[in-house]
Amino acid sequence: MEELLELLKDGHARTIELLAMELGTSPEDIERKIEYLEQIGSIKRVSMQVRKCNGCSGCSGGEQSGATPCKGCMPEDGFKNMGTMWEVMV
Amino acid sequence: MRANATIALLGQPNAGKSTLFNALTGLRQHVGNWPGKTVEKKEGNFSHKGVNYKVADLPGSYSLSANSDEEVITRDYIASGDADIVCILADSSQLQRSMFMLADYAGIDVPCILLLNMADVAKQQGKSIDAKAIENKLGIPVIPFSATDKKSYDVFYNALDKAVASKNKLNIEALENKYESIEGFQQICGLIPNDAITGYSSTWLAVKAIEGDKVVMAKLSEVLDDSVMAQIESIAKETKGAVATGGCKFAWIDDVLDNAVSKKSKNIKLGKLDKIYLSRVWGKPAVVLTVILGLLASFIPAIPPMIIGSVVLMLKAPIASGLAAIGAPHILTLIINDVVIQSLSYIIKMLGFVFGVTLSFGLLEEVGVMARISYVFDNTMGKLGLQGKSVMPFLISFGCTMGGAAGARVIDNWGQKVLTIALAWAVPCGAAWATIPMLATIFFGPGAVAVIVAILLIMLVHMYVTAKVFGRKLVKKQDRYGMIMELPPYHKPKWGALFRYVLGRTKETFFRVTKVVLLVCGIFWALSYSPAGGNGGILYKVGTAIEPVTKAIGMPWQLFLSYIASAVGKEGAIGVISALYSGGSYSAAFTQAMSGGGVAGDLNSILLANVTKPEALAFMFAMTFNMPCVVALAATYQETHSAKWTAKIVLYYTVVSLLLAFLAYHVGLLIW
Repeated sequence: MEELLELLKDGHARTIELLAMELGTSPEDIERKIEYLEQIGSIKRVSMQVRKCNGCSGCSGGEQSGATPCKGCMPEDGFKNMGTMWEVMV
Repeated sequence: MRANATIALLGQPNAGKSTLFNALTGLRQHVGNWPGKTVEKKEGNFSHKGVNYKVADLPGSYSLSANSDEEVITRDYIASGDADIVCILADSSQLQRSMFMLADYAGIDVPCILLLNMADVAKQQGKSIDAKAIENKLGIPVIPFSATDKKSYDVFYNALDKAVASKNKLNIEALENKYESIEGFQQICGLIPNDAITGYSSTWLAVKAIEGDKVVMAKLSEVLDDSVMAQIESIAKETKGAVATGGCKFAWIDDVLDNAVSKKSKNIKLGKLDKIYLSRVWGKPAVVLTVILGLLASFIPAIPPMIIGSVVLMLKAPIASGLAAIGAPHILTLIINDVVIQSLSYIIKMLGFVFGVTLSFGLLEEVGVMARISYVFDNTMGKLGLQGKSVMPFLISFGCTMGGAAGARVIDNWGQKVLTIALAWAVPCGAAWATIPMLATIFFGPGAVAVIVAILLIMLVHMYVTAKVFGRKLVKKQDRYGMIMELPPYHKPKWGALFRYVLGRTKETFFRVTKVVLLVCGIFWALSYSPAGGNGGILYKVGTAIEPVTKAIGMPWQLFLSYIASAVGKEGAIGVISALYSGGSYSAAFTQAMSGGGVAGDLNSILLANVTKPEALAFMFAMTFNMPCVVALAATYQETHSAKWTAKIVLYYTVVSLLLAFLAYHVGLLIW
């Protein structure tokens, strides 16, 4: 797991598959390590939900109710197909 | 009846604990709370072959580290020795991962058995698991099991009977060997006596000390001298902490499973597209090219509305003659034709681009390309002093800068947040993507494509330069880690949902844009109107007064006023153009053209006759890179809480947009 974090030190993003390739292991191995690192707080999942947007110019109705961004800012329910990102917290 | 026995069920969430508990106890269970905690306590009982078993269903948690009450309750209960046997559940279909609970348990001094639950799922996946081999390595009963399959319970009951009698404990020697690779582990072990806290071995406590488990440290400090505690803490600090111990646990799991689990080794292969997108060299050009192609493709659905918009203008002549026939005042005809019809024509043309651009971006997101963009630019973000996730606000800003500013909230560092918002301003928003391609098409025809590409490339340069200008004060250059990403597989878009989103957005834009354009157009038309005809309007006087200055930047006064209006909202600029170039009192030549009826209704030709190509180019750059709109300005202040930085950003964008206009004008002069 130290090697995994060490690898990311160069500032380049990596996918689970690329990490598995570079570390000579399987994607499943990387996945369980991601789960563990997330548990101990070494990495953090990036939230892609934009909260309330206070009536942007895209909102025809001005102030939007609730905590969802308006349809003008984003597709409903936010970006669904952006995958998952984790940032390293050190 | 033989003596009673108590068993505890331990496992990660989804390991199948509840199913097992319910199957074992049926209705003989009761639910309460653990003393003094809000954590649910589930207990029940059953009897088998004359033995009465009490079952405790322990709270599900990832591990036994003190992250919350659940884990502390769980491990304290186990260590108390109340349970004779702990049944640890693991998911056979993903043993590498789910054996972690067992690894974290290792070192607790209570007999246990390992249930390889969901054996049926593993079988379906084509995995074969040699439970005996695992049993030999662990020294405890290991039982392939399926909590949902009644037939497999016999094996479980038999194993339980034997385990209660033999009280086998987990063999942790191999794991200890792994831990010894951590520098300082043995030292800490030596400092903690084996009976320091009942139920836990010194190995287990040493591991938790290295992991920085606060509850364990507090308990240790009750029994150990302060000097010993200080020593433990200082040694633990030198280790990699939970990263190191976790690594040992996973390595141990792999050793245990080695030769015991048959797995088909799959070669990891990247798809053809990902070979390009994920390449260090080709990733960036490929992604930029994809976005450009996407934008260009958005011109196609925009063509029909462009034509319809022009057709609308032809209504001017019949309306004018119709109104004249019923004796309506001349000014009414002017208002309807120059304000309403003129604006409507522009709005319809814009909607085509709103539709096209939204569809393109929606499609890129749906098929999975957007996710690759954040991947490709992660390192670039780092070089600009930003976090990788800053890409998200930028992507949102293609729709609305305000949304982008709100999206920057995910960035916890203030300086990075301000810089992210400052850069998001350079991303042309939805309103710009509606107006700019439309104007570009009017002025340059097919050449609009080149203008859009140029704007996109200038945007990248703009963002880079802006980051350098503001970055020095806002962010400290520091080494940063790359992100880990799980990219979605490429898949076919869900057309229904996509079109609903695109049409919904087009509709929203229609109402908003109609309001803005009509209002702005009306105001500017009124200000430029002179009852005497000709050049009498107030605006004309102001305009001609400032023209010597604006001409230097490459913009006639009408376009300059339009640029000013674009600071309020990019659609506003269209209202101004609509008013000032639609005739009325604009100029003598213009009025003459107007009286020509149908011919003059063709605004495109009027615009083309009055604005040169370099001037148009200058205006387009000025408008695109002007501040996004007043609402975005307010949002920026709201998110940054700094009037100083908001003002700085506004001033910077105004200057840069005029500078870009100046450059574009002179480049234009060279071309045309």
